[in-house]
Amino acid sequence: MKNKNVIQILARTLLATGILSLSFFPIHLCSAANTPANVSQPMQFQQQQPKPTDKTPNTTDKTPNPAEKPQTSGYDPMISGKGYGNLRVKVIDGRTLKPIEGAEVVVLETEKRYKTDANGLTPWIQAPVLRSARFRFLVNELHGQLTLISYKNGYHDSIHMGVRMNEGATTKTTIWQYQITPGVDRRLEPIVYIEPYHRLWLIQLADRFRRPSQLGEGYERP
Amino acid sequence: MYKNQRRTLVSILTTLVFGTLCATLPANLAKAQTYMVGSTGFPSNIRVAIRETNSSGEPDPRGRIIYVSTVNFDQYCRDVLPNEWFPNWNPAALEAGAIAVKMFAWFHHLHPVTIDGYTFDVDNTVNFQTYRAQSDQPSTDQAYYATRNLAFVKPNKEIVELNYRAGYENNPNWQYRNAGIMAQWGSEYWANQGRTPLQILEFYYIGRMLTTIPGVGRS
Repeated sequence: MKNKNVIQILARTLLATGILSLSFFPIHLCSAANTPANVSQPMQFQQQQPKPTDKTPNTTDKTPNPAEKPQTSGYDPMISGKGYGNLRVKVIDGRTLKPIEGAEVVVLETEKRYKTDANGLTPWIQAPVLRSARFRFLVNELHGQLTLISYKNGYHDSIHMGVRMNEGATTKTTIWQYQITPGVDRRLEPIVYIEPYHRLWLIQLADRFRRPSQLGEGYERP
Repeated sequence: MYKNQRRTLVSILTTLVFGTLCATLPANLAKAQTYMVGSTGFPSNIRVAIRETNSSGEPDPRGRIIYVSTVNFDQYCRDVLPNEWFPNWNPAALEAGAIAVKMFAWFHHLHPVTIDGYTFDVDNTVNFQTYRAQSDQPSTDQAYYATRNLAFVKPNKEIVELNYRAGYENNPNWQYRNAGIMAQWGSEYWANQGRTPLQILEFYYIGRMLTTIPGVGRS
């Protein structure tokens, strides 16, 4: 009788210990805890998740495979609050001015690549309007800027900086590529073209910091 | 005796008067030469002097002229407008700008200059109008072709230079009106107030009128 009681007490103690240990067990270590309902992620990460109403172009429902190498660095400028414009790039031969087919144009800010057709044109690209933070609180930039690189076998790489973009507007730009001439081109290096800021904004910028005691060319006037 | 002297005096005076008139006649004619819409053909090309670029790659208004490029007139206007006006501005402002850019170019096409041995109509900098090859944009192209057949001229249809300057943002820029110069920011301001391109042009260029260019279409 006494032994029976002792066995019962032992069994209950073991059961209670088991239940208690289970409740304190770190469940994220369990393989079953990988289901979305049980994921407890850091707050910061959850904030970065795009809302369903956000404009996130080219999103796919395909579940990413961790074994696959990500195609981008993870930097996504297409966050909510940013605007987009439509961009179309034309790639031409800098000497003959004829369109180049099959050139690959990369939009650096989105790391997306586009091929040119027989007319040297890429498809219409939904591209972000990114204004420089340097001037944000001083003088509003009138346009955002993008950087493009065009690649084509037999041609110098062409870097095109400062492509002007505006929210909801359509923008066209042309990239000149120069054919590599064997024997003449001893150093194969990229060619850069920097599109300047619009003159209307440069006038505003100069006027913004002009001191009445040091007028320089003076304020914009008729 | 006196009769002969009088005849000689009259003949000398006549020679003097006619001689002076003949000597000054070509100059007077040149001064009086005006170009009217209708009798002056619409330009097909324009000679653009390309100036050397500064270290950041921007054409330098004080740089030396490298060469003179002959550019299709329509293409020139299309490649100027987005660099002078802003492509995402109100279409009415762009159309007023398109007419100003075209009339400025047309006037200078009729009055070429020779500098440093190069004869040209305009250069590619703010000395005339900012021109960048292949920089035309869909919105500005649309504004240009919508107004291609229109000219803004004197009441006698004389082609005049339509000048413009930047002006100030969100402002009607009345001081530019007094100077007979269109303010670019002013054109945007009035367009956003609902003014038409014609009303904007009439506001800044007093005593000018809109006319159609014979034989010139919208494409």
